[in-house]
Amino acid sequence: MSEPALLPLVASLVDAPLPVSGIAWLDAMRRDNHEIFVAGGLPLARVEAWKYTALRGLARRPFVDGDEAALTRAVDPSALALPGVDGARLVFVNGAFRADLSALDALPAGLTLQPLSQALHADPDPLRFVLSRRHYEADEAFTQINAAHARDGAVLRVADGVKIDAPLHLVFLGAPAEGDLAWHLRNVIELGEGATLTLVEHHLASGEQAHLSTVVGDIELREGAHLHHTVLQQAASGASLIRRTSLRLHARAHATLHLAELGGALVRHDLRAELIGDGAQLETRGVFMPHGRQHVDTQLAIRHQALNTASSSTWRGVASDRARGVFRGAIVVAPGADGSDANLSNKNLLLSGSAEIDTKPELEIYADEVKAAHGATVGQLDERSLFYLRSRGIPLAEARALLTAAFCRAVLDDLPNEALREHLSSLLIDQLPA
Amino acid sequence: MKDAMTIESSTATTLRDNVDVAEALGRSYAAGFVTDIEMTGLPPGLDEGTVRAISAVKREPEWMTEWRLEAFRHWQTMPKPDWAKLNIDPIDYQAISYYAAPKKQPKSLDDVDPALLETYEKLGIPLHERAALAGVAVDAVFDSVSVGTTFRKQLADAGVLFCSMSEAIREYPEIVRKYLGSVVPTGDNFFAALNSAVFSDGSFVFIPKGVRCPMELSTYFRINAQNTGQFERTLIIAEEGSHVSYLEGCTAPKRDENQLHAAVVELVALEGAKIKYSTVQNWYPGDENGVGGIYNFVTKRGDCRGDDSKICWTQVETGSAITWKYPSVILRGDRSVGEFYSVALTHHFQQADTGTKMIHLGKHTKSKIVSKGISAGKSSNSYRGLVKMEKGAEGARNYTQCDSLLIGKQCGAHTFPYMEVKNPTAIVEHEATTSKISDDQMFYCRARGIPEEDAVSMIVDGFCKQVFRELPMEFAVEAKKLLEVSLEGAVG
Repeated sequence: MSEPALLPLVASLVDAPLPVSGIAWLDAMRRDNHEIFVAGGLPLARVEAWKYTALRGLARRPFVDGDEAALTRAVDPSALALPGVDGARLVFVNGAFRADLSALDALPAGLTLQPLSQALHADPDPLRFVLSRRHYEADEAFTQINAAHARDGAVLRVADGVKIDAPLHLVFLGAPAEGDLAWHLRNVIELGEGATLTLVEHHLASGEQAHLSTVVGDIELREGAHLHHTVLQQAASGASLIRRTSLRLHARAHATLHLAELGGALVRHDLRAELIGDGAQLETRGVFMPHGRQHVDTQLAIRHQALNTASSSTWRGVASDRARGVFRGAIVVAPGADGSDANLSNKNLLLSGSAEIDTKPELEIYADEVKAAHGATVGQLDERSLFYLRSRGIPLAEARALLTAAFCRAVLDDLPNEALREHLSSLLIDQLPA
Repeated sequence: MKDAMTIESSTATTLRDNVDVAEALGRSYAAGFVTDIEMTGLPPGLDEGTVRAISAVKREPEWMTEWRLEAFRHWQTMPKPDWAKLNIDPIDYQAISYYAAPKKQPKSLDDVDPALLETYEKLGIPLHERAALAGVAVDAVFDSVSVGTTFRKQLADAGVLFCSMSEAIREYPEIVRKYLGSVVPTGDNFFAALNSAVFSDGSFVFIPKGVRCPMELSTYFRINAQNTGQFERTLIIAEEGSHVSYLEGCTAPKRDENQLHAAVVELVALEGAKIKYSTVQNWYPGDENGVGGIYNFVTKRGDCRGDDSKICWTQVETGSAITWKYPSVILRGDRSVGEFYSVALTHHFQQADTGTKMIHLGKHTKSKIVSKGISAGKSSNSYRGLVKMEKGAEGARNYTQCDSLLIGKQCGAHTFPYMEVKNPTAIVEHEATTSKISDDQMFYCRARGIPEEDAVSMIVDGFCKQVFRELPMEFAVEAKKLLEVSLEGAVG
């Protein structure tokens, strides 16, 4: 649905030269996705997946493609650290890999962690399958853009049977630049059979600037692999951050995700999980707390495709000021996925008359030996709980803060990394409306 | 499972109906017969001439013709909707005849073609003395023209206007003009626009201020002539403090070609008025191979225009090859109430995409949605709903419960609820479950000597009880039977 006259964002993407790798299949994939995007444009109107997220404002802004000075931007390394996260670290600043800020020495045996640019240079073939996709859907415009323009990203592999104890740290930082930049990152993560990994993905900013970034990630969990994945999103208050994460879980694989969406002006995350092996299990726990004029949109889609798979999702949203929180939680139980057990809960607090919550839990069931349930609520703090606290001498404002914090914290309860859990919890409390 | 599933509560009623089930097992679509009377009508095709011709045949005033034409012009610019989870073969709108009528225009019941009366007889519509016995006033629509209306006098004494739409346009133009299209505008959606352009007839109800309608009003719609889309238009207006309960029920003769039905129903409830609209929809669903059946694309909307008004939709949908229907309520008046109770059953290759919209505008408005979907065979059954709390919906409340029951491995049950909340004092709750009839439940019934089919129908009956409770009694009985017949062969 492109406009007759190209919008600045579209125009800048159409004009931006595609990265050239010299790898024939990769360059062909970039060209094809670029052409699909040019033909289809942005999903500006009447695309169901973008019903609640208007892109017109974003599309009217011009962005500079990539940051030429990314390697020399001053970044305080200590600002990147997170409590309880002490493993290897891979850092990207304005879309470019920063060896000086990363910690890649003495990687444990069986762990590969390197920037995509290096991985492609060393041996592109293992990446060929995952990087050869063409994205044809109208709602995939940003995936098309990312596929065509991403120059770097994280490549992470854990060999069969290897257990990595220290949490790995992926850092995506936006730094102030001369103009508003656009960059694109592509992550490829694979856990071998029986491998175990704890991973922390951190989006943050070292200043206030309205950059646009897209991050597309594939996470493959082979048979019996275990992944603990925590995502902390603290992008700059003017930033637009559009992510797509695709998980594939083979037989008996188990993934637990915790996500806290705190920053950004326009934030969109498509989180898709396919349970393709018998007995695969997925837990997602997320919280989004838009305030000011933030717009945070999470699109969770879980597909049960194999026998006896289980998924459980708990999401909390708190919208205040003039912010808007959007959530879609779609569960599909495909034909033959008998014995699936799926449940999803999305509870939201609406704290201001100018804020808005749009939520849409969906179930699509094609198998009959299934347990599936979802629930969603939008409301305010429970009057009786407030009364209880106040009757015990706690002032109203404090009682509200306490209850709101407890409401959000529910998604962090089963995060095993205590130091990280406490850190996230204090960030949530800081973000509560005064 | 919920209390609705308790087997004890449904045992008594179901055992009584075992006879009916056994009887029903051997029979195919019961209402599948064709009335053999000559039809006159317009040839297939649709253009401005068709719209003018329909208007002329019905001797409509100029404003009505213009209203239709405006809708038609708008319709031509509209894209066909494709968002519903339905596979619809392309419809050739030029291949449909937009007006069919019995040749003789009856003036009273005595003039009615005996073949027609026989048809109603078979369907069990209480006309003539049967109508008096049943205490129900009927405005029966046979294809496109109302053939008989009973109880006019009794209703007239109460001040209630209940007649066909064509008659209302001629006799009460000022009321029709004021309200027609005020709830569902002509350009509201593709099928509503089509209906506005070519609607043939329908029912008109006007309950004046303070009147409680002395009886339940009922219309039987019946699609008869081949290739005739039936486009009825119903308008119900309940003035301040009035009260009406309206029943709509449908069956259709067996046909191999898909027939299009695009109705529009508009309800207006003024201050303190209550409207209850109940539907049992049993149009021909197509055979077990998915051949034939009715396309049921309906726009139903109620407007709680006044404070303290209430609109309640109850529907039992077992028929039609494809159902596309979202009875909605706009809760405009403060403290107004909207309710939606639905049972949708699909079997063989039937597809249903149905649900409701509750648009809360007024303060302290309340809505309740209870939807029960049952899928069997290779069918697909979706609940699609919207609950919207606008900025002014101070203290508004919604509760939604959607349950799906799957019978068999090849069917689908889906839930697509949308919740949009802009007021921090509003509360919206949605719950949905999907399950199958559990082996435990079946074992319990079988161990007590209840045959498999009966056990299934008992459990289904329990599953739907919450909705059946809301139906007027005679409808509840019919609905139960319908479910049993529709579920034939679903197990085993």
